[in-house]
Amino acid sequence: MTFKKLSIAFLLLGIAVLYLFINPSEVDFLPKCPFYITTGFYCAGCGSQRATHQLLNFNFLGVLQQNVLFVLGLFVLLYHISILGLNSIFKKHYYNYIYHPKTPIILLILIITFWICRNIPYYPFNILAPH
Amino acid sequence: MNQLQPKNYLIQSILITLFCCQPFGIVGIVFASQVNSKYSAGDYKGALQASKEAKKWTKWGFLSGIFLGILFLVIYGVIIFFAYENGEFNDF
Repeated sequence: MTFKKLSIAFLLLGIAVLYLFINPSEVDFLPKCPFYITTGFYCAGCGSQRATHQLLNFNFLGVLQQNVLFVLGLFVLLYHISILGLNSIFKKHYYNYIYHPKTPIILLILIITFWICRNIPYYPFNILAPH
Repeated sequence: MNQLQPKNYLIQSILITLFCCQPFGIVGIVFASQVNSKYSAGDYKGALQASKEAKKWTKWGFLSGIFLGILFLVIYGVIIFFAYENGEFNDF
């Protein structure tokens, strides 16, 4: 089990180093979005690789330009991890809003709205599309 | 409701939707919402069932994301290889 965790940690570290030094909009050997290739429409995750590159270089405006919901994804992940960590390390009983009945519905509406809006090729919607 | 709420895989679904470019993640989020709503309504069996479905969809989303990524790298490698064989890099 520790070997598995170690190898996952090394893999994540390797990916982070890769995206730190390589700008995905300048090279073309990184995987493209299968949804974009097949349909020509952006998916909700298009621009995430470029956003990762911008985030690792601390260019937060660049992250927002590539994918606004990338920030939401990071926030949700950090929230979940910190609640889990607080509850298990300090024996607290904070309520985790991930398990609230309304949370998934709100997130789903957000993602679908974002998905539709970023495919409208007119101002102001085209700001949401990855550049 | 003494039983613990089953895992809803909401985090995994969102990460797959936003980072793996997988529409499967959307299905995962739908089942995650079912886990939460059924559990809060006291339907433990239904919540467990939805949890299993959510796990299935996130698993396949993750695996197909990795598979497509590797497939892309392989195709790109083959293109590079044949370009090299045909002497497209002789300028260097």
